[in-house]
Amino acid sequence: MNITFDRIEGTSLQYRMLLLVFAALAAAGGIATYVVCQKGIYITGMTNRVPWGLQIVMAVYYIGLSAGSLVISGLYGVFGKIEYKPFARMAVYVAMLFLIAGLMSILTDQGRLDRVFVEPFVHFNLQSMFSINPLLYNGHILICIIYLWALFTEKKTLTKVIATLAFGWAFCVHTGTGAIFGFGARMLYESPLLPASFVAAAMASGTALMILMIVGLFKITNRHVDDELIIWLGRFLAICTLVVMYFLAVENAYRAYVVELRGAALYYLFGGFHSILFWFGLMIVGLGVPLFILFRDRTGKQIRWIVVASILVVFGVLCERYVIVLPGLTHPPELFPGMEITASPLVEGTASYSVSFAEVLQALGVFGVIGFLFVWGLKVFKLLPNEARISGPPGPAV
Amino acid sequence: MDRRDFLKTAGGTLLAGTSCAYAFRFLTSTYANKAGTDIPASGKRWGMLVDLTQCREDCTACMEACRRENNVSFHNDTRWDNHWIRKIKLSSEHDAGGEEKSVIMLCNHCDRPPCAQVCPVQATYKRDDGIVIVDHHRCIGCRYCMIACPYNARQFNFRDDEHWPNKERPKRSHGVAESCTLCAHRLDKGELPACVEACAKTGAGALSVGDLNDPHSTISRVTSTMAVKRIREDLGTEPKVYYIGL
Repeated sequence: MNITFDRIEGTSLQYRMLLLVFAALAAAGGIATYVVCQKGIYITGMTNRVPWGLQIVMAVYYIGLSAGSLVISGLYGVFGKIEYKPFARMAVYVAMLFLIAGLMSILTDQGRLDRVFVEPFVHFNLQSMFSINPLLYNGHILICIIYLWALFTEKKTLTKVIATLAFGWAFCVHTGTGAIFGFGARMLYESPLLPASFVAAAMASGTALMILMIVGLFKITNRHVDDELIIWLGRFLAICTLVVMYFLAVENAYRAYVVELRGAALYYLFGGFHSILFWFGLMIVGLGVPLFILFRDRTGKQIRWIVVASILVVFGVLCERYVIVLPGLTHPPELFPGMEITASPLVEGTASYSVSFAEVLQALGVFGVIGFLFVWGLKVFKLLPNEARISGPPGPAV
Repeated sequence: MDRRDFLKTAGGTLLAGTSCAYAFRFLTSTYANKAGTDIPASGKRWGMLVDLTQCREDCTACMEACRRENNVSFHNDTRWDNHWIRKIKLSSEHDAGGEEKSVIMLCNHCDRPPCAQVCPVQATYKRDDGIVIVDHHRCIGCRYCMIACPYNARQFNFRDDEHWPNKERPKRSHGVAESCTLCAHRLDKGELPACVEACAKTGAGALSVGDLNDPHSTISRVTSTMAVKRIREDLGTEPKVYYIGL
């Protein structure tokens, strides 16, 4: 298969406006982060009982999107599905950007940003998931850079090796991210299933995002992509979505079954705003409806329906990230089993969290940075293929 | 795959796996002690004894003394107020009309502190004398320790506090997570922690500190002869705050 890659011209008014919008978002996020650093985290929605908020939700969401995107490139590099070669460059570039976004979200969430670039390197703690994960993220970014170089220079053997490494590393990255919570001592965190569930959700959201990007970019730049390629991705997305649903069902069934976790399970499923997000945002809109669309013969083979399903999955996984991070914190730890704390100078019972304007700006700022880098990258690097067609049956690629 | 290839692959995998396991063990062993996963049987090991039968219901002398001594952040807002030592009221979930019980809560200075294990920069560590402490010049404010602490003992300095009653101690700056230090600076000078001193001044004497490794200390004698409890012992964190009357 002879594929040529190209840059986009990037001279249109729309292109410049898009860059400007992303730059403005990035600037707003930068200002918000500066203000938070100067004044203190009290201007966000976080409190002593809910010490993590939107930035951590976005961090794990972005990391998920990165791992999933790389899986798509793994199809070409690892499993030899040569028809996906046209998307490999874009997938790796996007994966790299989302990893950067994840890291930026974590960095901008720290109480002392001035120490973040020194202390973690000088006093590394291998027992902390918060030490291990940045190592995995930075390693992944490095792998992506080498991978991109191998793809750009058409080095077939190196591509095969680095793609395999990247594929395996992506699993570690997401398992590690899930372990931040899964290995945590909160009733709604502690679960060995959580890291695996994170991987499944990452693959679902990443695949969905790639479908959206491929369909959108190819349409905007008037490039041809065979429907079959998207339909196959849609099927893969359906399987990932089903696995996510399965993990969620098992995890919640376990919590509801075990007596000591039953109260926490009820709080998770029916305890407030997060429960609405869980049932409507995640289970129905984010997973149920896409599954119906993708498994139904008539809609599962239509590109516009696959796009709708992908949008819903991307939204659903964002809800999934929220309902992992926040309810685990707002639900009170059981300090005295069988007893109730009736008075305290601290909030000891169920806590509340509401997203603040500063956090929204910070999250938009991170999105602005990677959006800018992506749009700029399309003009600078040869990321987009001239077309994407299926030429004969799939076989070994490299 | 022939036999030779199989042996090569299996041997290589075994070698690589073993190397990784040993490398990980080697790298983590250095941190294991710092994270406080060992419990020394000799040397000083500070612990606290809280006699709830002596604690007066409306007295908050320990809380006030702690705040005064350590300049603990206080903004009159429960979301961001820090209480390195706090007094809570407990009642039975199954006995609505039952008697309420006041309990003093503070950092348990666990022998296996989860907060130290998760700290990505080793800012939280257990001293040789068993006190779990935070280097507030090193803490990056990630708040992972607050997630890991099962006792809600770790609190964050959300904003600067202009109030600075004790000029001999540092003003609490925003952006770091801290908790009770058992007034290590006072213990090092041979003085009692501020809360213990304040409690004694009221005449209640509900709080005391001592060396758990010294069989003649009051705390050792009490913990070995009386029915004492620790909060959530089942978690395996080995808390060093013991309660009489809990």
